[in-house]
Amino acid sequence: MFGRFFDTLKAKGLNVTLSEWLTLQEALDKGLCNSSLTQFYYIARMILVKSETEYDKFDLAFEECFKGIRSEDEVTASMLRWLDKPEMSELLHEEEKHWMNQGEDLQIDKDDVEEKFKQRLKDQDSEHNGGSYWIGTMGKTSFGNTGGNVGGVRVGGTTGYQSAFQVIGARKYRDFRDDKVIENRQFQLALRKLRHFSTKLDIPKTELDIDGTVHKTCNNGGCLQIVMDKPRKNAVKLLLLMDSGGTMIPYTTLLSELFQSVHKSNHYKDVKTYYFHNCIYSKLYKTPECQNGDWIDTEWMFRNLDSDYKVIIVGDAAMAPEELYSTSGNYRGPNGGLSGMDWLLLMKKNYKKIVWMNPKMALGEAPWREAETVIKNLFPMYKLTVDGLNQAMMRLMVNR
Amino acid sequence: MNGQNNGFAGTAEYVASEQLMASVNVAVALQKPLLIKGEPGTGKTMLAEAVAKSLGKKLIIWNIKSTTKAQEGLYVYDTIQRLYDGQFGEEGVDDIARYIKLGKLGEAFESEEQAVLLIDEIDKADLEFPNDLLWELDQMEFYIHETKQTVKARQRPIVIITSNAEKELPDAFLRRCIFHYIDFPDEELMEEIVKTHFPHIGDNLLENAMEVFYWIRSIKDIRKKPSTSELIDWINALQIGGIPLDTLRSRLPFIGVMVKKDEDLQTVRERMN
Repeated sequence: MFGRFFDTLKAKGLNVTLSEWLTLQEALDKGLCNSSLTQFYYIARMILVKSETEYDKFDLAFEECFKGIRSEDEVTASMLRWLDKPEMSELLHEEEKHWMNQGEDLQIDKDDVEEKFKQRLKDQDSEHNGGSYWIGTMGKTSFGNTGGNVGGVRVGGTTGYQSAFQVIGARKYRDFRDDKVIENRQFQLALRKLRHFSTKLDIPKTELDIDGTVHKTCNNGGCLQIVMDKPRKNAVKLLLLMDSGGTMIPYTTLLSELFQSVHKSNHYKDVKTYYFHNCIYSKLYKTPECQNGDWIDTEWMFRNLDSDYKVIIVGDAAMAPEELYSTSGNYRGPNGGLSGMDWLLLMKKNYKKIVWMNPKMALGEAPWREAETVIKNLFPMYKLTVDGLNQAMMRLMVNR
Repeated sequence: MNGQNNGFAGTAEYVASEQLMASVNVAVALQKPLLIKGEPGTGKTMLAEAVAKSLGKKLIIWNIKSTTKAQEGLYVYDTIQRLYDGQFGEEGVDDIARYIKLGKLGEAFESEEQAVLLIDEIDKADLEFPNDLLWELDQMEFYIHETKQTVKARQRPIVIITSNAEKELPDAFLRRCIFHYIDFPDEELMEEIVKTHFPHIGDNLLENAMEVFYWIRSIKDIRKKPSTSELIDWINALQIGGIPLDTLRSRLPFIGVMVKKDEDLQTVRERMN
């Protein structure tokens, strides 16, 4: 019945599912809307939209469908009639209110209005809301309630809701709309693959150790003695190194998505994140701004973060040959006497498990991307997608 | 729906916006869980209390922590107690049902009269937690393997779920919920809220306190904006302290009640001068 509204919502990028749509129909069937557009607005929103960041999209879709500029004859379904456009905008603009009354021949003569009212009461055989002729709500006739006519007859009903279009007009939720908030659940799920259970952690003993209990109980002459043990916890420690160089700027959103996913995953024993510019040299930056001074020594990292850390390096591996091979190739900071390549080899030597995630990795062989090819030979490289991340996590977990 | 059909219409202690009341009533009518999101301190948790009170129903609160498992909400089988009892030949050890303890969700299902179940801060739990409850919340029943019993809701409870948006909730779960986002109250509503807490508050104090409150909230570089509950605490402190009104804005007494970060305190002080 509201097919067009459904399509518009979809077109605005709202992921409305059929089951939610049916729930809305159920709500309409139960008469929860009180045949009021504004209540319909709130009810549709609370059922169809599940995040305040998407309220704005909903507002736009709603406005397009029910306020629209198309002519009246497009709206045929009787239910749509009370949702029809110009009747509603009246609540937004006083001038429009005036204009609309033209449709009712601007009848403000009290007797005349009364007479017409009685006449229509007689003729009307069903509920009407917002039409231009019958008695109902939200209409522009002189009869009914919540309507826009200046001199009409009020017929029952309750007021109290703020007008839907007043709400939409304000676009209150525009600030919430943040297209940077992306669905990173899939990333999080991929990162969950990275777990290695261990009982060697320092946590309270809360689980029953069955073998131990049986053993102790037997030794105790059959008198039960319970042995508790520490629950198995994830012992994976993660080291995330992210390229924050100029060529990575197009992937900022993707990277922050990955970064958020890693930090929302609270199942790791430890997560450390550092940044580098194009290639790893003697210093690693603490912030993505990569400001000189705000850094740690890469050697300090080697000493303090042991080889059990699983390393994810994120970068586009687009380095100039001298950035990789010259001992003065770091044009932004110190080289530490070694070339970028040497530092990468040191990384490989210090950590057992390293994967390289590349947001713009070439498919198959790409000999023209020299640096990428070299690094591919050094570390297993995966494209930074949900799929690639899944593969990389598998790689980090296998014992080889 | 405003107040008709014995619906929820706020209580003397809890001021709800009309939209919020409508959400509650729609959720009740459609028998779906109501998911409430909003800034901290906008009264998400208090809503359930208010709903229970206003509808005259029992409130069951299930507080979610990072270690909470979905199973705990259904039932717990106390095996260790049974083992111990078995040792000393306690009576009724062969009756497993004695050792099945219903969780909060189970309690709500078993309740003779309809209860209001608050699942508080669902986003604190594990990523998979909401998915583990899909069937139970949909069908309002669960199966106890140990006793081969099905616990079915006698009266479908009104389920209210709050979230601070620390984690994203799974789509399958969201699809089944009615969603409401609690806006930060505007000044008018805020005045009403404060007045329900302090019915005898002087207009002067209220006006001054609100002015300071919204002024602090409007400072762009404040990291943690004060919320409703903090304003109420502050007004309470001001009343107890008996601070003369004329110094309120120049000295900002007890401001630590509202502004809790060192950096923020400094920012506020700088702006005052």
